[in-house]
Amino acid sequence: MSDTADRIDTVEMPREGLAVVQASDISSERLELSADVVIIGSGAGGAVSAYELARRGLDVLVLEAGPYVPSKDFTEDFTESLETLYEDHGGQANTDGDLLVLQGRCVGGSTVVNGCVSFRTPDFIFEEWHRDYGLTDFTPESMAPYFERVERNLSIQENRPHEIARHSMVLSEGARKLGWSVKPFKRNIRECALTGHCLSGCKTERKQSMLVTYLPWAAAHGARIHSDTRVDKVLTENGRAVGVEGRVVDRTGRHVADIRVTAPRVIMAAGAVQTPVILQRSGLGNDQVGRNFACHPSFYVGARYPQPIHPWRGAMLGVYVDEFMHPDKGGFVLEVGGLGIAELCMINEPGTGKPFVEYMQNAPHMAGIVTLIHDHNVGEIRWQGDHKAIHYQLSDKDFPSMMASLKAAVRMHLAAGAEEVFLPSSEALSVTREADIDRQVDKLVNKPQHLRMVSYHPQGSCRMGTDPAHSACDPQGRLRGVEGVYVADASLLPSSLIVNPQVTVYALANYVADRVT
Amino acid sequence: MNNNNLPTAGLEPLTRRGFLRAATLTGMALTAGCASLGGRRTPNGEAVYAHLSEEEARVLTRLTEILLPTEQFGLPSSTGEVPTVANINDMAGDMAPQTRDLMAMVLWIFERRPMASFRFSRFTRLDDEEALRYVRAMQSGTFFERGLMTTLHTAVCVNYWRDSRTWPGLDYHGPVTGIWGVRRLGNAPMPTA
Ligand SMILES: Cc1cc2nc3c(=O)[nH]c(=O)nc-3n(C[C@H](O)[C@H](O)[C@H](O)COP(=O)(O)OP(=O)(O)OC[C@H]3O[C@@H](n4cnc5c(N)ncnc54)[C@H](O)[C@@H]3O)c2cc1C
Repeated sequence: MSDTADRIDTVEMPREGLAVVQASDISSERLELSADVVIIGSGAGGAVSAYELARRGLDVLVLEAGPYVPSKDFTEDFTESLETLYEDHGGQANTDGDLLVLQGRCVGGSTVVNGCVSFRTPDFIFEEWHRDYGLTDFTPESMAPYFERVERNLSIQENRPHEIARHSMVLSEGARKLGWSVKPFKRNIRECALTGHCLSGCKTERKQSMLVTYLPWAAAHGARIHSDTRVDKVLTENGRAVGVEGRVVDRTGRHVADIRVTAPRVIMAAGAVQTPVILQRSGLGNDQVGRNFACHPSFYVGARYPQPIHPWRGAMLGVYVDEFMHPDKGGFVLEVGGLGIAELCMINEPGTGKPFVEYMQNAPHMAGIVTLIHDHNVGEIRWQGDHKAIHYQLSDKDFPSMMASLKAAVRMHLAAGAEEVFLPSSEALSVTREADIDRQVDKLVNKPQHLRMVSYHPQGSCRMGTDPAHSACDPQGRLRGVEGVYVADASLLPSSLIVNPQVTVYALANYVADRVT
Repeated sequence: MNNNNLPTAGLEPLTRRGFLRAATLTGMALTAGCASLGGRRTPNGEAVYAHLSEEEARVLTRLTEILLPTEQFGLPSSTGEVPTVANINDMAGDMAPQTRDLMAMVLWIFERRPMASFRFSRFTRLDDEEALRYVRAMQSGTFFERGLMTTLHTAVCVNYWRDSRTWPGLDYHGPVTGIWGVRRLGNAPMPTA
C-alpha cells in the first residue's frame, strides 16, 4: 500500500467540501488498495451505492475518472465548465457527429451539471418493463419507498411561483391557449438563487447534487473517494470479481500512477457509455453488454419573441408539457429551458453572416423548448481497441415522434406569441406562422448531419431483465456470467424513460445496493 | 445553390471515421480561454499565432470576417476588438494531438474545397459575396460538407461570443453569484435514517 492509501475516516461530516484523494496527492508510481466494495464512478448511481453500502458498515472505495472540483471553484461560464466538468470536454458525440452526448466527468458525475429536473419513473414505463423484460418486482408501489427516500434526501419539491422564470411563464401561456396540460417541474434544489447557471455546476450548493449530498454522507461513514482515477478493467478469477485496475491521470493528462484495487465486489457506475466499455475491455458479460443504448435524442427549439425574455435569467427549468407523454399520445415531453450565449451559438442555424449576427443580437428575445422522446434502444456502445464509439442514429421508427415533438414545440411557441421559430437543422429553416409548420418541418429528413440533436440522458447499455438472451444484468443488477459484479447506473434501464432519469437512477442504485451481498 | 454534385477533390484523406471524429472539434470549440489581441505580427501586418500555421490563421480570419460582420451592427469587431482567432489559437493549443490533426485537415480542405466550382480559387481569395455563397453551399451540401461547416461555424461563433466584451451588446449578465453575493449553503445535512 502506498503513501496515500491511508483510510480517510471522517467521523464528522465537513460543513463544506469533501475529502478526496487527487492525483496531486499521489507520489508513488503504483497504488495497491483494497476494499470490501469498489465503486467505479461517483455520479448518480455511484454516490447512492457508496452511501447505502458504507452506512451498512462496508469498507467502500469510490474511483472517479474526473477531477474533484469544489463548488466554490465553479465559474458560471459554460464554455469553461465544458472543459473542466464534462466528458470529452463537452465534445462526446455519436460516430456520425450529429448527436452530442453530454455527460458529467467530475466528482459527482452528471448530477453536478444537470438541470435538477426530478421525475419518478412513469407508471407506463414500469408496465413496459413487466411486459417486455419480465421485471415484475418493479411497480410504482414497490419502488415508492425508494422514490420517497431519495426525494426526501435531495429536497425534491415542486417549483414555487418565483421559480417560474419569464420563459416558462410565456410558454405556459402558449400551452394553455392550446388546451395542453402544463405543469411546474419538481427539482432537487434548496432555496434556488435563480442564477440560471445550473449546467456549469451550482456555486452555492443549492443544487442537491451528489457532490454535496450522498458523497459527503458516504465519506462520513468511512467511504474513501479517489478522483483523477480512470478504471480500465475489472479483474476476475474463477468467474468471480477480485478487483479493478486503472490509471491515475492528472488534469494535464499526465499519467501519474497505476492503480490496482483488490475487492470481492465491484459496482459499475461509470454511466451508460463508460460502464459497457469497461466491461468489454475486461471481456466480461454476455453479448448484450453495450447494446440497447438509448439516449432521449433532444432538440432545443428556440424562438424569437417581440418582448424581451432574457432566457438566462431565473431558474433554468420551470415547466413542462405532459400532454403527449404516453406513447399512445405521441411519446414525447416538452420542457421549457433557459440557456446562455454559448448554447445559442450552437443550437440553431438561422443563416450565415448578417442573419446570424442579427439572430444573436436578438438573444434577449429568445426562449426555448427542449423535446424529449421515448426512443427505442437502437444504439450500441463499442470499445474499438483504442477508443470508444457511440453508434447511434435516429431510427426511422423514432423519426416520426421526433418530428411530432418538433411540430408541437413550434406550435406552442407560436401560440405563446413567438415571431419566428428556428428549426434545429444544419440549414437555415424557420417558421413564422401556424399554416407553415407542416410544410417547413416536413423538409427535414432523417439523414446524418441534418438535424442538430443533443442527448443529456444516455441509458440502457447493460439493461436488466429476466431473459439472459436479451439482457446484460439480472433483475437485481448482477452482471450475467460473473459473480460479484453489479451495475448500478443508467446502463441498467431496460427501456428509455421518456422523462429525465436521475431520480430513477438514484432509486435503482439504492435498490441494487440493498441487494449487494 | 447546392453543390451536392461537386467532385470530392480534396476529400480523399478524410476517411469517414476520421472525419466523424472531427465532431469532437465542436466540443473543443467551446473550451478556449479568452485571449487578447496582442501578439507578434508579420511585416505585412498579419498576426502570428503559436498554435496555428500562417495558412490556418488566414483561413480562420477570413472565415470570421465572412461569418461575423459584427461592426455593421455596432458590435465589437470580430477581428479587431474581440480576438476570435486568438481564442481559437488557444483552443488549438489545448487540443489532444489527434483532434489537432483533424482540425488541420478540416481547415486544409475548407481552404481548397472551392476550387472546383469557384474558378479554382481558394477560399481566402474569394470576394465577400463568393465566400458567403461558398459557405452556404457547404451548409446545404453533402454529409461531409455539412459536418465540416457546422464545426467551423460553431468554433468561430462561440469563440467570439464567449468573450465578455460581446455581452453588453446582448444584455447578457454572465456570472452572477459573486455580484449578487449569494450565500453558500455547504453540504446538505446527513439524513437521519
Ligand atoms: C447537462 C445535463 C443535464 C441533465 N439534466 C437532468 C435533469 O434535469 N434531470 C435529470 O433527471 N437528469 C438530468 N441529466 C441526466 C442525469 O444527470 C443522469 O441521468 C444521471 O446522472 C446518470 O447517472 P449515472 O450514475 O449513470 O452516470 P453519471 O452521473 O454520469 O456518473 C458517471 C461517473 O462515472 C465516471 N466515470 C466514467 N468512466 C469512468 C472510469 N473508467 N473510471 C472511473 N470513473 C468513470 C464519470 O466521470 C462520471 O462522474 C442531465 C445530464 C446532463 C449531462
